[in-house]
Amino acid sequence: MDILRVMYDMLYYAGPILFCTLGGLFAYKVNVINIGLEGMMLFGGFIGALVIFYTGSYLLGLSGAIFLGIALGLLFSFFGITKKANFIITGFAINLLAIAIGYYALALMGSTDINIIGEVRTMSLKLNLPVLRSIPVLGDVLNGHSVLTYVAFLSIGLVHFIMYHTKFGVYVRVAGESPEAAEAVGINIHKIKYAAIIVGGILSALAGVNVAVEQIAAYTPQITAGTGFIAIAAIYCAAGSPMKSSAYAILFGLMQALSRNLAITLGGIAGLLHIIPYVTVIVVLTGIAISRHKKTNIRGYAHE
Amino acid sequence: MKQNKLNVVLHHFLNALIPIFFAFLLGGIAILVAGENPLETFYILFQRALFTERGLTRTLHYASPLILTGLAIGISFKAGLFNMGVEGQLLVGGFVVAVLGYTYSHFPASVLVPMLLLAGIISGILTAMVPALLKAIFNVNELVVSLLMNYAIIHVLQYLTTNVFRDPSRGYVSTHMIGSSAILSRMFGTRITPFFFIALFVFLVMYIVFNHSKLGYEVRAIGKNLEFSEAVGMNVKKKILIIMTYSGALAGLGGAGWMMSDRYAYTLNFSGDPGLGWDGMLIALLGAHNPVGILVAAVFYGALKSGSQAIAIHTSVPREIIAVIQALLILFLSIKFLKENKFLERLTCRFMPKKPEGEEV
Repeated sequence: MDILRVMYDMLYYAGPILFCTLGGLFAYKVNVINIGLEGMMLFGGFIGALVIFYTGSYLLGLSGAIFLGIALGLLFSFFGITKKANFIITGFAINLLAIAIGYYALALMGSTDINIIGEVRTMSLKLNLPVLRSIPVLGDVLNGHSVLTYVAFLSIGLVHFIMYHTKFGVYVRVAGESPEAAEAVGINIHKIKYAAIIVGGILSALAGVNVAVEQIAAYTPQITAGTGFIAIAAIYCAAGSPMKSSAYAILFGLMQALSRNLAITLGGIAGLLHIIPYVTVIVVLTGIAISRHKKTNIRGYAHE
Repeated sequence: MKQNKLNVVLHHFLNALIPIFFAFLLGGIAILVAGENPLETFYILFQRALFTERGLTRTLHYASPLILTGLAIGISFKAGLFNMGVEGQLLVGGFVVAVLGYTYSHFPASVLVPMLLLAGIISGILTAMVPALLKAIFNVNELVVSLLMNYAIIHVLQYLTTNVFRDPSRGYVSTHMIGSSAILSRMFGTRITPFFFIALFVFLVMYIVFNHSKLGYEVRAIGKNLEFSEAVGMNVKKKILIIMTYSGALAGLGGAGWMMSDRYAYTLNFSGDPGLGWDGMLIALLGAHNPVGILVAAVFYGALKSGSQAIAIHTSVPREIIAVIQALLILFLSIKFLKENKFLERLTCRFMPKKPEGEEV
C-alpha cells in the first residue's frame, strides 16, 4: 500500500466530511443538532449535478446547490425554531426526502444516475498549483485536488476565525450558552439560530457538490453514505470546537482512505473493510464518552 | 373523564390527519410534475389497496413487518431512547433466518418455523445490545451509534451474501432460497400469511405491556424524566437494556417474518428502499408511539405500499412517489399542529449541549 496515496485520499475523503462538520457545528453551538446535514448534502449534490446536466455550467450548478442549501436551512429553521418542531425528526425527514426525491427524479428521467462525466471532466476540475507541487515529498499529496476540497480545508481556519474573532461568532456562542443573557443585551436569538442553521445548509450543499460533481461526476442517492452522520460524530467528539472537530473529521477521512486502499490490495475481503470508518467513529465516541463519564460520574446519569 | 379521553383521541387523530393532508398536497405537486392527475392517482392508490380483495390482503401482508418495526421504534422512543438501528436489526434477523432456513431445510416445519422465528428475535436483540450496552454503561449517544451501525451492518451482510453464502446459480447477488418447510405460506388463496397473525399477536402482547404492565409505566416514566425515575429508585441502566431488548426483538422478528413470508432469500434490497426499519419510524410517529395508533398507521402505510404497485401499473407516475409522500409526512409530523407535546420536547432537550464538561457524547 502506497502511503502517499493514502494521504492523498485522506484529504480527498476528508473534504466533504469537513464541510458537513464545519457547517453543523454552528447549529451545535446554538443547541440545535442538525441531523439533516446528510440530506442537505445529498440535495446539494443532486441539484448541482442536475443543473450541470441540463446547462453544462459548473458555476450554475454550484450556485443552484448553494441556493438550495439556503432554502433547506430556512425550511429546517422554520420548522425547528419558529414552529418548535422536534428537530431530530425534522432533520430525519430532510434526509429521507433527499433520498426519495432523488429516486423519484431518477425514475422520471428513466436513469439510474445523473451522469455528468461529459459535462465536467473530473480531471479538469483538479487544480494544479505549482506552489504546492514543488513541496518535497508531500507535493503529490497536497497538489491535484478539486477546488472545493481546498475550500473545505481553508474553511477550517475561516470558521475558527468567525467563531472566536467576529461579532457573529460571539453572538452564536452566547445564544447557545446563555440565551437569557443574549436576549438581555438585545441579541435576536431567533435570527442567530436561523443564520447558524443556514450556514450549515450551505456548507453541506457544498459537500454534496464536492462528491457528486467534482469527485465522481455522477449523482446517485447513495453518494453520501453516512457522511453527514460521521460529521455529527466529529462535532460530538470535540464538543463543537472548530479545530478539534476538523481534526476528527480528517481522522475519519483517513479511515475511509485506508478502507479504500486496503480494499484494492486485499481483493476478496475488500467489501468488509468498508465498515472501518463507521466502526472507528463508534470506537472514538465510546472512548471519549468513557473519559467524560469518569470525570462527571455523579449518580451515573445526572450529567448529560 | 370520558369526554376527556375522547378529546385526546380526537386530538391524536387530527394531529395525524393534518400532516397527511399536507404530505398528499405536496406529493400531488410531484405527481403534476410527472404529468398525471394527482386526484386520479390517489383514487387509484386507495381504491386498489383497500377496496379490492387482492389489494386489501396485500395491504395487510405489507403491514405485518411494519407493525413490528413500528412497535420497535415506538417503545424505544417512548422511553426517550433513539434506537435508529431498527433497520440494521431487521436486516440481521432476516439474514440469519435466510442462512439457517437453507442450512436446516430438511427439518420439519413444526420445528423449523419456531426455531427460525426465535433465531430472528435473538439476532435482533444481539444487534441492539451494542448501542444499548454502550449507552447503559458509558452513556454513549445511542442515536449516532445505532445509526452508523446500520451502514456497517449493510456492508458486512453485503460481503457475506456476495462471498460466503451466495447462491451461484442465480444471476444476481442472493443467498440460497430457504427450504419449503421454512416458508410461511399464503392462506385462503390470498396474500395473507401466518406472519400477519403473528404480528397481530405480538401487537396484543405489546398493547398489554405498554398499557397494563409495570414495565410500560416505567418506560413512560423514563421517557418523561430520566433523572427523577432514577432518583426514586428505578434501575435506569437495567431498564435501558430491557427496552432495547424489546426493540431489537421486535425488529429481528420483523426481519425473520418478512424473510419467511415474502422474500425467501437475502438479497441486497431485502428490506426495500427506504427499508422497513425506516418505515417503522414513520409509523411510530404517525401512531403517536401508541400501540393502537401504530397498528392503524401500519395498515395505512401497508396500503400506500400496496397501492404503489397499482399506481405503477395504471398510471405513468413512478412508484417512488410513495417514498416522497412518506418523507413529507415525517417532515410535517415533526410539528405538533394542535398541542405542544411534552414528550417530544423532553427528547429534544436531551440533545442540547448544556455544559461542555458534562454533556452526553
